Amino acid sequence: MHTLYPEEKTGIVGWGSYIPRWRLSLKEIAEVWGFNPEQPEELGVSEKSVAGVDEDAVTMGIEAARNALMRAGINPKEIGAVWFGTESKPYAVKPSATIVAEAIGATPYSMATDWEFACRAASEAIRASIGAVASGLIKYALVVGSDTAQANPGDVLEFTASSAATALIIGSREESAAYFEASATYVTDTPDFWRRDHSKYPLHGEAFTGEPAYFKHIVGSVKTLLEKTGLKPEDFDYAVFHQPNGTFPLRVARMLGFPREKVTPGLITPYIGNSYNSSALIGLARVLEIAKPGQRILLAPFGSGAGSDAYSIVVTDKVEERKHRAPIVDDYLKRKYTVSYSLYAKYRGLVYRVE
Amino acid sequence: MRISIPPSWRTRVYRYRLVATKCKKCGVTLYPPSNICRHCGSREVDQVELANEKARLITWTVIYSTMEGFEKQRPLIIGIVETTESKARILAPLTDVLPGELKPGMIMEPVIRRIREEGEAGLVHYGVAFRPELTTSALNTS
Repeated sequence: MHTLYPEEKTGIVGWGSYIPRWRLSLKEIAEVWGFNPEQPEELGVSEKSVAGVDEDAVTMGIEAARNALMRAGINPKEIGAVWFGTESKPYAVKPSATIVAEAIGATPYSMATDWEFACRAASEAIRASIGAVASGLIKYALVVGSDTAQANPGDVLEFTASSAATALIIGSREESAAYFEASATYVTDTPDFWRRDHSKYPLHGEAFTGEPAYFKHIVGSVKTLLEKTGLKPEDFDYAVFHQPNGTFPLRVARMLGFPREKVTPGLITPYIGNSYNSSALIGLARVLEIAKPGQRILLAPFGSGAGSDAYSIVVTDKVEERKHRAPIVDDYLKRKYTVSYSLYAKYRGLVYRVE
Repeated sequence: MRISIPPSWRTRVYRYRLVATKCKKCGVTLYPPSNICRHCGSREVDQVELANEKARLITWTVIYSTMEGFEKQRPLIIGIVETTESKARILAPLTDVLPGELKPGMIMEPVIRRIREEGEAGLVHYGVAFRPELTTSALNTS
């Protein structure tokens, strides 16, 4: 019998996601920029979600947070930390977290800050929340992963860079719809993807994207988790990985010994693209909306630069009743309307206008 | 045109959480909130949050000639909705909808959106907008 991990005192009390209504077909991106028409199929993604002209990481994060709050059914004043993970915050200086905290009614005694670690910022905030809740420092933490992902127009990243948000309320295990069993992190200094100060779009170190970044770090964190806990891939009912495209998560699952059918329920990227900080978390949200009490979920977000966390999460009997308290991921997947490349360019500020 | 920062800051909670006032005397709910009931003149009002209420679309207008600062949002749709329980009438932008999809009586729900921004370097003003309820089947899909 192992000593109790701090993680086991905590869990997910509420969760919620948000996807904008607008979609862009990847075929149209290929046509505009003269890519091989087969490219979308090779990426395993058909459409990407596009935030509207009046949306940004904050507005999307607020809706996800409100959904999480409805599921949790708690008083927002009891939230002790609002931690916002993004790489597309509206202000370089002025926290997004305080706007979210104010909008949900968690001010003024909550901690509130923005986290930065490419697509993994919100994931590190989850581990920190586990620590803060398990220690008794705070009662609940709200973690939001929200991005209107940027990509240089015509760069291969543009195919998948999309918009969505997911929020988790972390609290005591007793109140949770799913509790954490254990977690592990794996980080190194890796030049796979970056954006310098004042640069509008990120760049990427081509050859570094796959093996030395995504695969090495996710394999690193998941193997550490499995060794630490003695759990095996067959002990998990679902596996949710960071999903930059439709194929990487299936490949990393194969490398780790997880069959395809445990991955596809939480694989959302084929329908909406890669929503960066919400990428793995929206997969977790969808899995929580179909999972049964007692089932075990592996969650492994990844962020460039680079790092990954692996979490073992066990669903409790509170999940079924909480699911119906707010819109589910499938509601947002169904609400969609395809826009042209030109409208997408206007919505996402790719057209320069002198103001 | 620049929005003055102090009034925008003072009204942030009203805008983010749709805080209205309900008259203790005549029961009328007003948004934006007012310390004096504009219906009966009473000064006895309670603050109420309407962010979790749905609303019915009363009327709307599609604005093709917008004022400066709203060019990206053209055509701008502004509507009047009435909240289903408190019956507050609210004037607000309508979002996530094409002009041809709107119908009187349509069920709408409040969301927080960027209402305007002061150029590339200025403040972003967030506020309430209404969209057709998420699970409606009245919208086009493609």
